[in-house]
Amino acid sequence: MSDAAVVAEYRGSRRRWAFLAAALAIAVLPYVLTGNYWHTNLTVCAINVLLALGLDFILGYAGQLNLGQSAFYGLGAYVSTLLITRLGIPFWGAFAAGVAFAGLSGVFLALFAVRLRGHYLAIASLGFAVIVHQVLLNWISLTQGPLGIYAIPPPPPIAIPGLPEISFRDPVALFYLIAGFALLVYVLLDQLVRSPIGETLTAIREDEISAASLGINAAAWKVFAFGIGAAVGGAAGCFYAPFVGTLVPDAFFITESFSILAMVIVGGMGTLIGPVFGAILLTLLPELLRGIGDLRLVVYGLALTLVVLFLPGGLAQAWRLVRAKLTGAPVSAR
Amino acid sequence: MTATIVAQQAINGIVLGSLYVLVALGLTLIYGVLVQINFAHADFVTFGAFAAYFFMHLLGGNYLASIAVALAVGALLGWAINLTIFAPLRHKGSELLPLIATIGVSTIMQNGMLAWFGPIPYAFETPYSQRVFRVAGTFFTAQSLIIIAVSTLTIALLYAFMKFTFLGKALRAVAQDRETAGLMGINPSYLIMLTIVLSSALAGMAGAMLAPVLVLTPFAGTTVIVKAFAIVIIGGFGNVEGTILAGLLVGLIESFTTQYFDPGLIDIVVFALLLLMLAFRPTGLISERREENV
Repeated sequence: MSDAAVVAEYRGSRRRWAFLAAALAIAVLPYVLTGNYWHTNLTVCAINVLLALGLDFILGYAGQLNLGQSAFYGLGAYVSTLLITRLGIPFWGAFAAGVAFAGLSGVFLALFAVRLRGHYLAIASLGFAVIVHQVLLNWISLTQGPLGIYAIPPPPPIAIPGLPEISFRDPVALFYLIAGFALLVYVLLDQLVRSPIGETLTAIREDEISAASLGINAAAWKVFAFGIGAAVGGAAGCFYAPFVGTLVPDAFFITESFSILAMVIVGGMGTLIGPVFGAILLTLLPELLRGIGDLRLVVYGLALTLVVLFLPGGLAQAWRLVRAKLTGAPVSAR
Repeated sequence: MTATIVAQQAINGIVLGSLYVLVALGLTLIYGVLVQINFAHADFVTFGAFAAYFFMHLLGGNYLASIAVALAVGALLGWAINLTIFAPLRHKGSELLPLIATIGVSTIMQNGMLAWFGPIPYAFETPYSQRVFRVAGTFFTAQSLIIIAVSTLTIALLYAFMKFTFLGKALRAVAQDRETAGLMGINPSYLIMLTIVLSSALAGMAGAMLAPVLVLTPFAGTTVIVKAFAIVIIGGFGNVEGTILAGLLVGLIESFTTQYFDPGLIDIVVFALLLLMLAFRPTGLISERREENV
């Protein structure tokens, strides 16, 4: 076996252990942090992790500043909920449709936006988010506008013969479902970004012209990245609706895009693990700081600004610096 | 009758549009010189509005003086954001980091104002809103005359400054080519500071005049800024004439959509126009150089 293969196998086995540890952590957490309050927080964390992973794939890997993640989130939530409440479609069918619809709208936006870069893309995606929010608010016959949709049922129970039925009215079961799905998405994205596809996206992010000279069709890959990232955001929305039980358009206002952006940046864009911790930190930090009342969200802004100014690689960079200090090894680039 | 309605809505649209122009001009100036976007620009508008409100209600100041106060407060905020965000990040040469940092500043300012001023809308009334003139069946308030006069004067002064003064010429030189301008003995750091201060002063001032029109809450600026972004792109980023044209256009779209359709459709119409512009004419209404981003 060559050295490279040995290293790859070592890393692969380390990855498998890490995923196992993550699965264990998910299993144990609801019993460490008990009570409805913490179970709610944990589930919010899992939803935000999904949102951050979706945006990170577009922003961190494909390098596209997407300020429209709130729109994909909202589309997933509304499409799946309306299919369930209006047409009586079963949850998982509606879930698939919601994810597909969000993904396709990501593709649609990207088709508009592939010729744009940087600031233009930021504004175009922001504009898309404004339009989606306004449509949700004003298409009252469909969405009930600002009044919202109420009494959204939880996902149907899973009955496995010989085992007790798993009901998602139980907050712990719902947390397992959403966190388990987030872990699955993480594993799939991890495979994707380490595959040649991930390398292609990175090449486009670093230098689009050089990538094009290697025969890479940058536009097509950006559309692909938008589709994947938007679909993941849509999945978060499909879970959000039955978790909260009500849907109002203002949950998907553009400021939600900024919160998701903060999670990705604080965690460290362009790594997958960073945004996971960014999402968890920024979800729990305001909760821990509840005493300061309305100033809670100031923490989001402060974290975002300070990280950009002093630690642009976020938590991931901080971790690499600490590890380098401890082991004396040089800091790796990524 | 219909002609009167059309004339009346045209007047309303131009009054509103000229305020949008003030806000959007600031964004476009900053983009022209720095190639950066200040997301907190909206909150400078809101903060200007609150400054004017408290100047009138706590200190018993005059409304016209409060516009000047808002202008000064805006300028101060601009100076501060340049010092803390734009200047330190300029040397990192990233396109996206300053934008993301200003999103952070915007979040801080909005929620800081929320904690400070509360979520309940403030009633911003000026003595000039009640005084109404009637000309050929259409109505003007003294307030709208003030808005048109002040914004026209400001835009004219800004234009003259850019065209005829040395500093203005230096600003345009930096906008065209920062490095060469530096070689000619122009200090880009100073001019960048000046641009941001000027732009933010415009935002603060616009806030004092928008406040009676808007629902004055800590989030008031957000509704304006999304339109201002649309205006800046429709007009062509960094293009002053295009921005003025697009600002008035968006004001007119808003007043006519309210009259003939539904106020809920305003943002949808404006942003559909934005996406269409991006798809088919990304250089804006009036084409110029600067195509590296599209």
